[in-house]
Amino acid sequence: MMKLTRADWLVLIAAIALLPGLYAHYWGEQGPATTVRISASGQQDITLPLSGERRVKVHGPLGDSVIEIHAGRVRFVSSPCRGKQCVHSGWLSHSGELAACLPNGIMVSVLGRERQFDSINF
Amino acid sequence: MSFDILCRQRTLYFLVKWSLAVCIALNLGACSRDAEPVHQEQILVFGTLVDITLWGVNDDKAQQATAAVISTLNKLHHRWHAWEPGPLTEINARLARGETVTLDPDQVEVIRGARELSRQSGDLFNPAIGRLIGLWGFHSDDRPSTIPPPAPQAIQQLVAQHPTMEDLHLDGNKLRSDNPALQFDFGAYVKSYGVDRAIDQLRRHGVANAIVNAGGDLRAIGSRGDRPWRIGIRDPRGPGILASVEIRGDESVFTSGDYERFFVYQGKRYHHIIDPRSGYPPDGAMSATVIYPGGGVGGGASTALMVAGPKDWLKVVRGMHLKQAMLVAADRKVYLTPVLAKRIHFEVDPPPTVIIGQP
Repeated sequence: MMKLTRADWLVLIAAIALLPGLYAHYWGEQGPATTVRISASGQQDITLPLSGERRVKVHGPLGDSVIEIHAGRVRFVSSPCRGKQCVHSGWLSHSGELAACLPNGIMVSVLGRERQFDSINF
Repeated sequence: MSFDILCRQRTLYFLVKWSLAVCIALNLGACSRDAEPVHQEQILVFGTLVDITLWGVNDDKAQQATAAVISTLNKLHHRWHAWEPGPLTEINARLARGETVTLDPDQVEVIRGARELSRQSGDLFNPAIGRLIGLWGFHSDDRPSTIPPPAPQAIQQLVAQHPTMEDLHLDGNKLRSDNPALQFDFGAYVKSYGVDRAIDQLRRHGVANAIVNAGGDLRAIGSRGDRPWRIGIRDPRGPGILASVEIRGDESVFTSGDYERFFVYQGKRYHHIIDPRSGYPPDGAMSATVIYPGGGVGGGASTALMVAGPKDWLKVVRGMHLKQAMLVAADRKVYLTPVLAKRIHFEVDPPPTVIIGQP
């Protein structure tokens, strides 16, 4: 058995040191820990971090719905529908929570570090 | 050992180690990229948000299969719409005039299926009360909360006419009705029918692992690779998840709830599920969930359970031969059948009070 030289150790340490980086790069969630996904019919999904302050206007068949992100939470501020069930849903902050304005075809969902459920029944 | 050989061995050693490191890196990459080929698409179709999740198919196939499902659901939406002018409103108008209607095979299938479920549920699922649903204003995608509930006399009048699926006479493909007050509104039953046709369509495209979720009601087939599909069941109060189940194979999960379509008038909540006996929305339960193998029963069963409430839910479970049902009562107590109690996992802390009912 050959003895490990200083150079061998260097290589080994370098390889081990690389592992967390590789893990994070390939397996870890990209971006911040918790994100908001806004889906609107016929449009690309918008993914935003659930941190900071932001107001987003999303255009739907009835007009603009306004979605607000504030202090780690997200909600519908207003929507051009008449029932306002989306606005009544209130603040969402936990992974898997969702609110939708069906008349305006817009859904807001909170995604966690790991997608906990493949589909939500309601 | 000569200096020359020593050098060569070292070089070899270096090479082996570095190639190992590179291999590990490539493997990690391959694992995360190829082992989870999940395609997910959300589309507004069928009057609701439809969420299609496919596993284990390439991009081309996924796109073709999804497009086929969208087209199928679009057709069904028009075909079975309870109030937008189309084939169903035409059937309703002709039956009300006492005419005999000639049906297409799929119409016979849906009407027969709904009639059978209606019988099994003791008419608590009653797709003949379309007029009552319309009177409440739920023949609209977006009923404003400013409109008050209908006048009690108007409700009483429609309840007294008592239309049921037993008023129908179906002879081959010829249909007529004894009761001019009968008006079809298949409600959630059409959703189960649509989800089942979507799954048929996916299978025809060679998709073996998928979830089709139409506005919250879903059917899952296969699995997500080496793990089952994980389904979250929404909490009827608040936007979170109440419970979860894992599905492998072919099962449907259908929920009806008082939070899906409702209006609040002078502080009172009125939801879209109407008790055919009273003409009012039942208030014993906030949501009802059924899980069953394959397709078919879906919307009819969850609707009947909502109407039955905690008093009569076991009658519906027995009549409709349900093995797995859950009722979240108005006091938040959760009623479960033994089979569902074994597999369901509560996601709320503290877990709710559970009452197991023996069917």
